[in-house]
Amino acid sequence: MINQAPYPTVLKPYGRALVELARRREDVVCLSGDLTRQTEVDLFQEEFPDRFIHAAMAEANMISVAGALARRGFIPFVHTFGVFATRRPFDQIVNCVAYPNLPVRIVGFMPGVSSPGGPSHQAIDDVALMRVLPNMTVLDLADATEVAQAVEAIVDVAGPVYLRLKRGETPVIFDDSHRLSLDRAHVVLEGDDVAIFACGMMLPAALSAAQVLAGAGVSASVVNVAVIKPLDRASVVAVATRARAVVSAENHSIIGGLGSALAEVLAEEALARPLRRVGLADTFAQGAQNASWLFTTYGLATQDVVDASWEALGRDLPAPTAPTLTSPAGEYAPV
Amino acid sequence: MAKQLPYLGGMMSGRVRDIQRSADLLRLRAVRMVAPHGFGYLGQVLSSAELMASLFSRAFRPGVDELVVSPGHYIIVAYAAGPELGLLDEALLSTYGVDGSSLEAIGTESSPVADVTGGSLGQGLSSAAGLALAARLRGSEGRVFALLSDGELEEGQVWEAAMFAAHRGLDNLVVLLDANDSQVDGPVSSITTVEPIAAKWESFGWTAIDVDGHDVAALVEALDEALAAQRPAIVIARTSTSHGLSCLPEGADGHFIKISGALIDDALAELAARVD
Repeated sequence: MINQAPYPTVLKPYGRALVELARRREDVVCLSGDLTRQTEVDLFQEEFPDRFIHAAMAEANMISVAGALARRGFIPFVHTFGVFATRRPFDQIVNCVAYPNLPVRIVGFMPGVSSPGGPSHQAIDDVALMRVLPNMTVLDLADATEVAQAVEAIVDVAGPVYLRLKRGETPVIFDDSHRLSLDRAHVVLEGDDVAIFACGMMLPAALSAAQVLAGAGVSASVVNVAVIKPLDRASVVAVATRARAVVSAENHSIIGGLGSALAEVLAEEALARPLRRVGLADTFAQGAQNASWLFTTYGLATQDVVDASWEALGRDLPAPTAPTLTSPAGEYAPV
Repeated sequence: MAKQLPYLGGMMSGRVRDIQRSADLLRLRAVRMVAPHGFGYLGQVLSSAELMASLFSRAFRPGVDELVVSPGHYIIVAYAAGPELGLLDEALLSTYGVDGSSLEAIGTESSPVADVTGGSLGQGLSSAAGLALAARLRGSEGRVFALLSDGELEEGQVWEAAMFAAHRGLDNLVVLLDANDSQVDGPVSSITTVEPIAAKWESFGWTAIDVDGHDVAALVEALDEALAAQRPAIVIARTSTSHGLSCLPEGADGHFIKISGALIDDALAELAARVD
């Protein structure tokens, strides 16, 4: 079952899940790069001070230390914002984590333009940077139910994992009966005209877009691709095959992330479908007051998913108009 | 565990003369490894031979302690000591750097002897600090030795790691710095100023011991002091990339020495005479 937008939200689903895990698993250690409360691991620090490691504002050292801890049987969960988790210590991730194939969990908060802090704080390339690395598993989540389950799901993955999480209020899209799978993408809605593949914070927009399209007589599948790598090729092929067009929606550059991954599969499977990629169109964004303004300005709104679907299907313009959803305090609505 | 062989078996005897001969054995093996290629990381062995022979003979306990070779091309000196450490067969040394060999010229995950992948300079001390922290968390007696080079001090991550290790009081961590004043573009001192090295480390909360890196007695004393220190410690070994091989031509490029023809024979003869 899925909830309807605007979604209820919760705080610190990740932080609580990590504490739950650490109660049972003494091999779990937690590193923070001076963003402890922002990455929800103040909860871990309170309960397990001996397994909490302040690594300071020194991401390169933090990643290399985590790699060494993983070599000696610990499962390090490393926390900072997505930009600092991937750009600054990229070479350290390569040599100290990915190439040795060590079970380090790199948790990058505040994806894409969910940060109004401008290009220095907007992780628009983190999925691309992590996806290109051999051995790396890449998850992009925005639903609290999946976030809570992801901690448990990834702890025993043999190699490294990059976990991309929304900061702050996290929408509850799925109810407790939902099960996150690392192997299968989740077909949330089934439709015959257009297949919309979304990840992370773009899932709500994809679901809203599907409703708008349904109102205009267009039937859309919506696939929640929580695991971008390794990509569930079978589900991509199955869902794309029954559709006439494919749309990707990601809070990330359209280069190197989910859209690129889909394009690779479609081309390799000789599955000829028009593809439109919704995301940052090979551009840096900017600082602003509100993330919602950035989502609209940089083409990551529900309307952009509707437009991309409409265009990919070759329909005559104009595309149907997405209603503006208001999000009451404490709730989350797609832009 | 280590086989007890004549030279590196000095761990048991601790005799300065045995350690010096062990250093020359490392040089001899390095010449043999590099000779088929005509060039290679021989200068790094010439400079660090006494430092590493002292470590392996006096301090390093295979299977208990850990070794990080941060400048990955220095892995050749660890390979050269590998047979006595019980970590590789001497016959394998002849495959150094050849296609398909596990003895890659720049240390990797498949390298025997060293515990992490080196090569991208500046990362090794962080890895060593992580290993030392892991030993601390586990209550293990193991010590971690990290070989660094002076050129590597140009990398910012070294200083991130220096702060981290001192803040956490990792007294089971010892850095061996081969200060040979050599990097790719020339002498380190001509490219940037890394001095005063000892004062830098002391100001970062480390015990720093600055010694002649070809004086075995001084190195042994420095290692003892480093291991006794109640905080992380660094042995700064002042060395030369041409030390211990007098037949090398004047002005040879210490970072990547070329060696061929009669020079190989001269080098092997000079070193064999001292080892035997």
